Amino acid sequence: MGILIRDVIEESSRKYAEITAIQWLKKKEVFVRSYSEMMEQVEKVRKGLLAEGFSGKHIALIGTSSAEWIESYLGIITGKTVAVPLDAGLPGEDLVDLINRSDSEALFLGPKNKALLDEILAACPKLEKIWMLQEEAVEGTDKKVASLADLKTASEKTDSDAQRPKADDVATIIFTSGTTGKSKGVMLTQNNLATNVAAVEFTAEPGSVVLSVLPIHHAFCLVMDWLKGFSLGLTLAINDSLLHMVRNMNIFEPSIMLMVPMMIETIYKRLASADPAIPKKMLGTKVFGRNLRIIFTGGAHLDSYYIDKFAEYGVDVLEGYGMSECSPVISSNTPDDHKIGSIGRPLSNVEISFDNGEILVKSSSVMKGYYKMPQETAETLKGGWLHTGDKGYLDEDGFLFINGRVKNLIILSNGENISPEEIENKLALGELVGEVIVTGENNGLTARIYPEQELVEAKGLDEAMIQAELQAFLDQYNKNQPTYRQITGLVVRKHPFIRSATKKIKRQEAMIDEALPTV
Amino acid sequence: MTQEMQFKTIVAQYCKVTPEEMTNSMRFREDLGFSSLDFMSFLGELEDTFDLELEEEDVLKVLTVEEALELLERL
Repeated sequence: MGILIRDVIEESSRKYAEITAIQWLKKKEVFVRSYSEMMEQVEKVRKGLLAEGFSGKHIALIGTSSAEWIESYLGIITGKTVAVPLDAGLPGEDLVDLINRSDSEALFLGPKNKALLDEILAACPKLEKIWMLQEEAVEGTDKKVASLADLKTASEKTDSDAQRPKADDVATIIFTSGTTGKSKGVMLTQNNLATNVAAVEFTAEPGSVVLSVLPIHHAFCLVMDWLKGFSLGLTLAINDSLLHMVRNMNIFEPSIMLMVPMMIETIYKRLASADPAIPKKMLGTKVFGRNLRIIFTGGAHLDSYYIDKFAEYGVDVLEGYGMSECSPVISSNTPDDHKIGSIGRPLSNVEISFDNGEILVKSSSVMKGYYKMPQETAETLKGGWLHTGDKGYLDEDGFLFINGRVKNLIILSNGENISPEEIENKLALGELVGEVIVTGENNGLTARIYPEQELVEAKGLDEAMIQAELQAFLDQYNKNQPTYRQITGLVVRKHPFIRSATKKIKRQEAMIDEALPTV
Repeated sequence: MTQEMQFKTIVAQYCKVTPEEMTNSMRFREDLGFSSLDFMSFLGELEDTFDLELEEEDVLKVLTVEEALELLERL
């Protein structure tokens, strides 16, 4: 027993057939797709995948939000195929690694990421086909590369449709930062996703607009903007660039948005810097558009100061809590039931327990496991309980609060979970980097580096030269990284890091830079 | 107001440095404390204020106030 995403989407396409499902901008013109039109495209992708022999296979997607991306994603997960959405901002070598580790045999690639083609073709031997997420024909001669239009044409060769998946079949694999420095593929089933969509207690008039501004490969965006939005017959507007978020809020006039705390902080700067003579209502309309009433936020801690400030403009900010491993929502405040400072009540399908203060979750939305990582799966799922790595408590009214972390991950206010080891391993390759620890400070990442003393002496470098050389090295590293993995602070240490008896750097004492006592 | 001062006034909305204190060698992220999203939002405001079309690929290379002013000058 259980629910399928296909059930959810098919029901919506029947109930809301004529309502706009997706709208987007292209050269300042707004394009739209109704629920029935979207479903037609989804079916073509699904049948095309069957006709091309990809039943049961893993299929990766690389690209930013677009109608083509979401229709392809739905085409994959409504059949017996598994979708692997990847972060289009990652360097090519990381994407190649994830395509290979997820055993993906086909790939949908956004036109903006076309430059990755050669590297992927050369380094991903299991890939049999790449479809560019575009209707236009693809130039070039590699037989493996075609367009989305070609895949849809292939669907016309057959009357057969893909079988419905089973509720406990894996629908999607979403990669998340691992504490050991290697990202982990979270396997979510049809039922995991569909029960999360159903359990979030929120409803809105069909046709209400949601402006989707988060990266679509993230579970929070994918499940709560898109799948939840589709289940309610909402209209999903695509934000074409973070450059234009505020402009697009005025074009699409959303009534609901999902944001990470960093977005709320940035928008607040615009509100706070405006001329105080401008009436609040007018300023609110200028920044938020005419209709915005609700912002759901999660992924990182939000200072409740912003909740009060946004309320002055008639916008309710509702905090929630989740992680990819829980499909992703665990608890959420709702318009009718909320408490400031809390991350809301656990969803109706969630049981909460605690182990030495660590929040444990049991739910129909808890993942099947990490793909091909049995040890990490066993460490996280124990006796049916998922260990979240966060510390917290439930208050007397049943609201959940977070007050610390167990695992060694840096959580930035854009919701990205950063594994410091993953970045330290890369920075350690710098010839002037002797020892390095990455810490999260002021909403960004700081590299604390003890320079390689042999090189300092050999080159006769003074403090300013060391600082300049290391900054140049970091600038070079940053060039190939998505913004959330860039290093924005550099501290050059005078002394080596303090180490434990087992010679491991004591991370919690990384800020201390003192000479070690001589024994 | 000169174009440079108009530009620095927009920058100042996102940080605690006044337009007068701002030097051209300051780095947006490291010295002015911009988050990655502050930077994007700021660029969106530049587009609206100066009626420009910026390419994400170009602007992501910009690190300092001076580099942003040069970009503005070129467009």
